[in-house]
Amino acid sequence: MSRHIGSYPIPPYLKNKLITAGFSTAEDLEDVKPVELSKELKITPAEALEVLRVVQGDQKDPPSPDEGVKTALDMLQEEREQGGIITFCSALDELLGGGVPLTKITEFCGAPGVGKTQMGMQLAIDVQIPSAFGGLGGEAVYIDTEGSFMVHRLEDMAKAAMEHCRHIATVENNRDQLEAMADFTVEHILSRIHFYRVHDWVELVALINILPEFLQEHSKVRLVVIDSIAFPFRHDFEDLSLRTRLLNGLAQNCIRLADSHKAAVVLVNQMTTKMGHAGDGQAHLVPALGESWGHASTIRVLLFWEAGCRYARLYKSPTREEATVPYQVTVAGVRDVCVPNNMQDQATNISKEDGEGLDDHSQRKRPRIS
Amino acid sequence: MGDVQGLVLHPRILTAVRKAKLHRYAEVLRFSSADLERLTHLSAKDVGHLVREVSEAVRQRIHAATALQLLLGDCPADLKVRFLSLGCPVLDEFLRGGIPCQGLTEISGESSAGKTQFGLQLCLTVQLPEEWGGLDAGAVYICTEDAFPSKRLAQIAQQFPARGLAPLEVTKKIRFSDQIFVEHTADKDQLSKCIQSRLPILLERGVVKLVVIDSIAALFRGEYESRETTRRAKDLQSLGAQLRTVSQKYNVPVVCINQVSAVVGKRRGNGNISSSQKVIPALGLVWSSLVTTRLMVSRTEHTLQCADGSPAVVRSLEVMFSPHLPNTTSYYIVDAQGVKGLR
Repeated sequence: MSRHIGSYPIPPYLKNKLITAGFSTAEDLEDVKPVELSKELKITPAEALEVLRVVQGDQKDPPSPDEGVKTALDMLQEEREQGGIITFCSALDELLGGGVPLTKITEFCGAPGVGKTQMGMQLAIDVQIPSAFGGLGGEAVYIDTEGSFMVHRLEDMAKAAMEHCRHIATVENNRDQLEAMADFTVEHILSRIHFYRVHDWVELVALINILPEFLQEHSKVRLVVIDSIAFPFRHDFEDLSLRTRLLNGLAQNCIRLADSHKAAVVLVNQMTTKMGHAGDGQAHLVPALGESWGHASTIRVLLFWEAGCRYARLYKSPTREEATVPYQVTVAGVRDVCVPNNMQDQATNISKEDGEGLDDHSQRKRPRIS
Repeated sequence: MGDVQGLVLHPRILTAVRKAKLHRYAEVLRFSSADLERLTHLSAKDVGHLVREVSEAVRQRIHAATALQLLLGDCPADLKVRFLSLGCPVLDEFLRGGIPCQGLTEISGESSAGKTQFGLQLCLTVQLPEEWGGLDAGAVYICTEDAFPSKRLAQIAQQFPARGLAPLEVTKKIRFSDQIFVEHTADKDQLSKCIQSRLPILLERGVVKLVVIDSIAALFRGEYESRETTRRAKDLQSLGAQLRTVSQKYNVPVVCINQVSAVVGKRRGNGNISSSQKVIPALGLVWSSLVTTRLMVSRTEHTLQCADGSPAVVRSLEVMFSPHLPNTTSYYIVDAQGVKGLR
């Protein structure tokens, strides 16, 4: 009950006067009239009225728990309902706990050529899977800073995703799903990916500043991909403290964006070599942009090559265990690695083999949707 | 870069911004709102207004489109996806159209693997009209390790019309050797100067739509001592960024020829090379991060009879990484006419 005066949004000089006059908590002002207060503090009646309105008004109707304040239980339920954006690689989805989560920042780091951009494109398509299939039916914003976005490749992946969903719909003969397919063609998919080509950090910062307005107009956007966050900040930055400051500001804006629009923010990051990281004097690969950037993203996934296979390792996550899973990039996009049936692997337990041979060298797995 | 004073804002805000000596957009955007409030002595609301207007002004120059518009070509010219033909239908098909006009394409390989041949051939195809796979403009060829192979160029150029990539009446009009600007640079400062001051003059006028650097490694392999890796990384980083800027700004392909280094011990990172291969492109991770499409050429042990009876070594062209190509390998030969893919 006794909230301190200092915590109210009142001009500082009025606060000072209140405190010097002996009003230190809201309780002290409870039964005071404006006229009395203005005499007591030697302020104008209008100011006194203002102060009392702020303090007493707050007292009279405390914010109900429904607006603004959420309990942990509310948030848990919300998160459960939200779901995530699946990747079409069930092992990876499992690793992330049901795909890339909404309202959070997920960062994919990896060496060149490991499939970071592919992951970004795949997610931009998968976020659009119609709700009849258990998807989000959303749209995506794709911010390209590197010039590596290739629309022809995206077309391939969109085609594969569409045929995959059509296959499911025909096999299950589900009317809702078949109807939803009319809106899930390659043209529709591509038209729902909003692409931005950004050339330097100034443009990136400005775009992120202005993006909330765009999302207000396009309320179906559920995914923002920045590919890559590293490139604009890795060259010709003499002032490293400026870089840190800018990156922090960006990260904050991203979190705000993710939270207020219920969107997932996916950042792509490069790797850098660090000497003597583990104290053995050896060179190690670590995500670029330095230590402080490590705090920016909620979830961090490392993508790397080992013995000719691609792996994803969950590096940082508030909810999931650290683990490593294999994945592959095929003509159709990001997919599970096929494992022989006799082998025990987490990748096999959920997904059923998909009979349709869209591309010959990979057996595609059914995503865990619907 | 824009001037803040040109924005439509309340005079009070503009005066405060001028007093705080914030002239350019970048100078406003580099500060957080709290810092701006402190610097300009404006209210939070005014600062919010200022940041929004500046951001909006910057956003105006960002090119945007939906992916569908990109695919259909219904978008700002800078975003249009174009490819430069390699001058061989087989290899073009293999690379899904040729060398992309956006970003850096690297061709790496051992010496005598045929890297320079690709560079020269691209210098010729770029001069073809757009409907025949070219970009209808000349090329800049920057040599850093060797003298420019003008004899070889003359040979390929002479035979080029005979390859039938475009009708003879089209190729007859083009004076192929006349539109290739050759530049020799001996160190990275010269190169940087060339990229920043001389190159834009040609690019601005549209005389040139291809930049080839042969090779990028020569500059960076000799000049630095082993303890100077940080400085080397920084210089590479900024050179790569300059090249990318050139590619983006003028929508032209930049092709970098790179050497390879032998691998000692266990390999880390890109393990996507077949195990028989014991070389990787030079210059390490920093450089790889800047490359958009990486191609590797090498000689194989096989030979083939050419049309004129002389033997030709079969060479391989491997896509090591690319945003739009799978990791596959194709084979080609180099003969008097230049590079030819094998089916």
